[in-house]
Amino acid sequence: MTPPVKDPVIHSSLSRPLAVSALLLLLALAWSLYDETYSIRPWKSYQSRFAKLYSRFLDQASAGQSELERNLKASPDYRALDSALQQSERESLPAVAAIDRQINQQLAPQILALNEPFQEVRSRIAALTYQLETSRSESAKTDLRRQIDQLKAETRFAALSAQLQSLKDEKARLLQQRVELMRPADALRARRDRYLADRLPGASTATISALRTSLTNFDIRIRQIHVKDVDLVDRCESCHLGAREPVTLTKASMGGEAVFASHPNPELLKLHDPEKFGCTPCHGGNGVAVASVEKAHGANKFWLWPLHAKENIQAGCQQCHAREILTEMAPTLNQGREIYRARGCIACHRYESFDREADEISSVTQQLRSIDQQKSAWTREAALSEAQANDPRTSDEDARKLLAHINDLKLRASLLDAQVDTLDTRSRSLVREVKKTGPSLKEVRAKLRPEWLPVWLKDPRQWREGTKMPSFRLADPEIRAISAFLWQSALAASPPPQAAGDPARGREAFETRGCLACHSLGEGSARQGGNFAANLSRIGEKADYSYLVRWIHNPRQRSAPYCAFEKRDLTAEDYRRHNLPFLFDLDHSRCPNDGHELQVQQMTPMPSLRLSEPEARDIASYLMTRKHDNVAYPDAPYLTDPALKSQGLALVRNYGCANCHEIAGLEEEPRIGTELTREGSKPIDRLDFALLTAQANAEGWLTHKGFFDRKLQNPAIFDTGKEKSAQERLKMPDFHLSKPEIDSVSTFLLGSVDATVPPRYFNTRGQDIADGWWVVAKYNCMGCHQLHPGQSSLLQLLPQYQDADSRDRLPPTLIGEGARVNPAWLLRFLANPALSDTLTDRNGVRPYLRVRMPSFSLSAGEVQKLARFFAALASQAQPFVAAPLDPLTASELTLARQLFASEAAPCLKCHMTGDPKHDARATAPSFALAPDRLQPAWVRRWLLDPALLAPGTAMPSGLFRREGDRFVFAGPTPPAFASYPKDHADLLTRFIFKTR
Amino acid sequence: MDLHQLWTILATPDNVPIVLLALAVPFYTWYGLRQSFANDRLIAQLEADPALARTHHRKTQPWRPEWDREVHVWPYLLRIEFLAALIVTVILLVWSILLNAPLEEPANPNLTMNPSKAPWYFVGLQEMLVYFDPWLAGVVIPFLIIVGLMAIPYIDTNPLGSGYYTFKQRKAAILTFLFGFLGLWLTMIFIGVFVRGPGWMWFWPGATWDHNRLVFEVNRDLPFGALFLAAYTAAAAWAIHKLITLTPFHRKIHARMSRFQYLVMQFFLILMLALPLKILLRQLFRIKYLLVTPWFNI
Repeated sequence: MTPPVKDPVIHSSLSRPLAVSALLLLLALAWSLYDETYSIRPWKSYQSRFAKLYSRFLDQASAGQSELERNLKASPDYRALDSALQQSERESLPAVAAIDRQINQQLAPQILALNEPFQEVRSRIAALTYQLETSRSESAKTDLRRQIDQLKAETRFAALSAQLQSLKDEKARLLQQRVELMRPADALRARRDRYLADRLPGASTATISALRTSLTNFDIRIRQIHVKDVDLVDRCESCHLGAREPVTLTKASMGGEAVFASHPNPELLKLHDPEKFGCTPCHGGNGVAVASVEKAHGANKFWLWPLHAKENIQAGCQQCHAREILTEMAPTLNQGREIYRARGCIACHRYESFDREADEISSVTQQLRSIDQQKSAWTREAALSEAQANDPRTSDEDARKLLAHINDLKLRASLLDAQVDTLDTRSRSLVREVKKTGPSLKEVRAKLRPEWLPVWLKDPRQWREGTKMPSFRLADPEIRAISAFLWQSALAASPPPQAAGDPARGREAFETRGCLACHSLGEGSARQGGNFAANLSRIGEKADYSYLVRWIHNPRQRSAPYCAFEKRDLTAEDYRRHNLPFLFDLDHSRCPNDGHELQVQQMTPMPSLRLSEPEARDIASYLMTRKHDNVAYPDAPYLTDPALKSQGLALVRNYGCANCHEIAGLEEEPRIGTELTREGSKPIDRLDFALLTAQANAEGWLTHKGFFDRKLQNPAIFDTGKEKSAQERLKMPDFHLSKPEIDSVSTFLLGSVDATVPPRYFNTRGQDIADGWWVVAKYNCMGCHQLHPGQSSLLQLLPQYQDADSRDRLPPTLIGEGARVNPAWLLRFLANPALSDTLTDRNGVRPYLRVRMPSFSLSAGEVQKLARFFAALASQAQPFVAAPLDPLTASELTLARQLFASEAAPCLKCHMTGDPKHDARATAPSFALAPDRLQPAWVRRWLLDPALLAPGTAMPSGLFRREGDRFVFAGPTPPAFASYPKDHADLLTRFIFKTR
Repeated sequence: MDLHQLWTILATPDNVPIVLLALAVPFYTWYGLRQSFANDRLIAQLEADPALARTHHRKTQPWRPEWDREVHVWPYLLRIEFLAALIVTVILLVWSILLNAPLEEPANPNLTMNPSKAPWYFVGLQEMLVYFDPWLAGVVIPFLIIVGLMAIPYIDTNPLGSGYYTFKQRKAAILTFLFGFLGLWLTMIFIGVFVRGPGWMWFWPGATWDHNRLVFEVNRDLPFGALFLAAYTAAAAWAIHKLITLTPFHRKIHARMSRFQYLVMQFFLILMLALPLKILLRQLFRIKYLLVTPWFNI
């Protein structure tokens, strides 16, 4: 018989599964506790590691430091200071001790004893007074007043209060006395401590031991910066614990853990206090997250502001410094901006605050046109109304109304005229300010050999190394069509033929006039000069000689003026119709047809060097010799094929050639690229990775950085694998940027985001300086001049200026220019650097320099920006007010004249005097200019130590020596000076300025 | 075959419940049916042996004549439930440790993510939007589903099968449920989660979700769709009637139904069958609408 099977529901035991499940639950619980405490809080282990490493670091530091400190303390200087301190302390000790005794043993207990009953009574009185104030019945008030008076009388409140006050006064007087007694000792102690601090390179042992003490109570907790009004919570310092420590921690000193290193640039932190700015506004990342490194650094797909990569770290500056072209301490970002501006990215891609002139000029022209339409509409309406008013069927009443209406319209039209005048004035400035990235193509027929055009378009970089012109991916038929269009759309006029010049003299002029500050010559390693403008090594192969002469003589000269209002180039015919000579320049810039401002200049930043025509011919002749030998270009007969013109026009439109170049008929082409002002925060889905999306995702570059880097490296990359017609293909040309250049442009674009901080965080300080840098960058002032310490001009780097006395042949440094010159004079000088309307072939201030300060034809606005810029750079108060100088007395005048002309003071040896024979050898500016030009305070500082203001200047230093509180002339002085009690430098300054 | 893509979809914390669902639902369906069939065999045995039926009242398998007729809830049921509670708690704890809530980027009203999917339990509804107008798919049909579920107790005239697993005695109910829940609801969730990619396009599992993918699909309205609809309604009603009166047992149940109960049941069953029909018409024949009116389209 089989044993009876028992009912499993009743008889089976569940103990084992229950026990196992309970155990599992326990384990899961333990695991969840561990997870809660450690796994999802990795910062805890960072903090304990930090505490350990930091205390080890401090131990080592204090060991090294204490040795040094002991040595310093043993030094006689320190000992002397220390013993002086002790001496002084000893002297003041008895008096101080007496005061302390009196305070501690008599006054303090008395005050304490009196204070308690006094405060008790005062509180009772206050409570009663409150009742009195709030009670409603008069009788109750009377009663309460009586109670208060009674209380005061019972406790002798007035006497008590007076006594307490007198005790407190006595104590304060004694304490003040004690401070006075201790003052000499305190001063000595400060001197002793400073002596030590000045000679100890790192933190003192005192600081270190304070840090050590704070480490013993090291507390493992989330460390966060909370800026309430920006809603910013940054917990970065929960792991990056060393970022703001007072001693410098490096990766090596913290056991190889870079996470604990100090912030590499404490200077930056000082400017951007983390308590106000946090970390993530600059660095990116998810400041709140502490669950893992990836999350905190925002390296997950869903965080829109990931930590900036090391090479793009300066991207963080851009969101607050968006309106600047030059931000201090951000060289990569500055380079990116400069590439964006100068290489012509801005020509196709709008970017707020870049190239504002072009945007504004088109808006002004638009406004002018719409005002014109409005006016003609009103004129028409007025004429109709008049006809209606004259109609006999119109009632008198209506006719009156109509006439009133006509008057109204005329009045309003007159208001429009005022607006037109304002706009014309504005456009007068704007036509001077607006520049194009590339040269005008309206002049190609006058300027170029026809066969050269297609060769150039094929690969600009092949023909001219380092050119700004990028490579478009053009097929041969496209090149032919574009060349034909450009050739046929260009102006037919050509400059008058010029006689040949002397290439040898031209070469000398080219090398000394300062052309190399912008242009370069020579290819490969032989290359020399600036890259602001074209490399001229092969200019002779392409250029027309007569055109080149005209260009060098005045690069701004056009063959025909352009009327933005009519959208066309004017011809001689237009002028003849109005009986005007065909004359257009900055003084004749009104359109004969409609009276609006004309574009009478080439839109090039190249200034006029005010050279004479023969010199321009010499330079042009020299440049025409610059070519490769035996270069032959294939004939290009198709250039005149009219069938190609319309085809070429479509291509030129498609590639946006007119965004960089001035092209007839395409002056108002819109920018063809997308706006990039907020490109860095564009949703990633809107960046078209095309067929590379999956690959990018798998390889981890489906990011803004990945997109920018690759697009800049190869602008056609996202066409890979796409079947597209030529017109649909990506148009962006290849700029041949190097890796650092790509990084810098990426940095700039990554920083171009919707700001994560409110606008009040944006940098608005130094607006004058920021504005000025735009003008400086636009005209390449830094090619010739040094503007801030640490920067050298391009000319300075040329081999011909390397020998010692060549510094005198260089343009002056402009460091401190704002403090040196009178801004009113600077305005005049910048508008006309020759300082003369007739003698233009010279430098106004330094005629002895071969390098020529050119005329930039700056607009009034730009001149003012520059003047304010220099003033702000030199921390000058604005507006400028000239400090009055004491007039010279007759005897002082004699003295000064004697000193000035004496053999010992060699002023007139170098400085120009106005005597032509002397000036031919002079090497320093004329004193005649000084009163107008300079600021007296600067002149005095200059006299005292010129080498301090301009290292390497030819002006001798040490002309004066200090004698008491005045400076006296260091050389032998004329005998009359013996009785002159005042400052000699001051006297000389006043003498220089006497003519004012 | 893009295994990386497949893994990304399967491993997304949001989709893990669906993966588990895909395993758990078939298992428990099988497990429940197994018990049902065992019980059905017992029922057959009892029906064949009236003597045994008189003494035996426990209708579930396994059983022995000597076992108690009844067992108490406490402790025999509750201890099992407690064990189940322990196991579920362990599973939930481990799950919550291993998988975090899938948080995404800060909401941006200017930007819709692609594909943008409802939470998994609503993905079926979202999938219906492909086949019907939003008003129908989003309002009318969910409303009818709820009303239909609520109506079940009132139209169910079958007194058997309460308190034990059985298939034989509740064939119609079980098959209808399996069709509606597994065949329609879960299938639509699986399609919505695993098959629908960017642009709500059809990507077979393992295909790369390419945002730039272009497909050519034109959906057309069916000419004379109203006639088709009428024909379908008639055919479906006839087929349903045939099905529920197929066996004598079911004819008996049918006879217990009032006219109103019968009509309500027909209405919901016809509607339920219409849903997969529309899906098939769209997927196989690219039919957009059967009936186009100025107010609504079907």
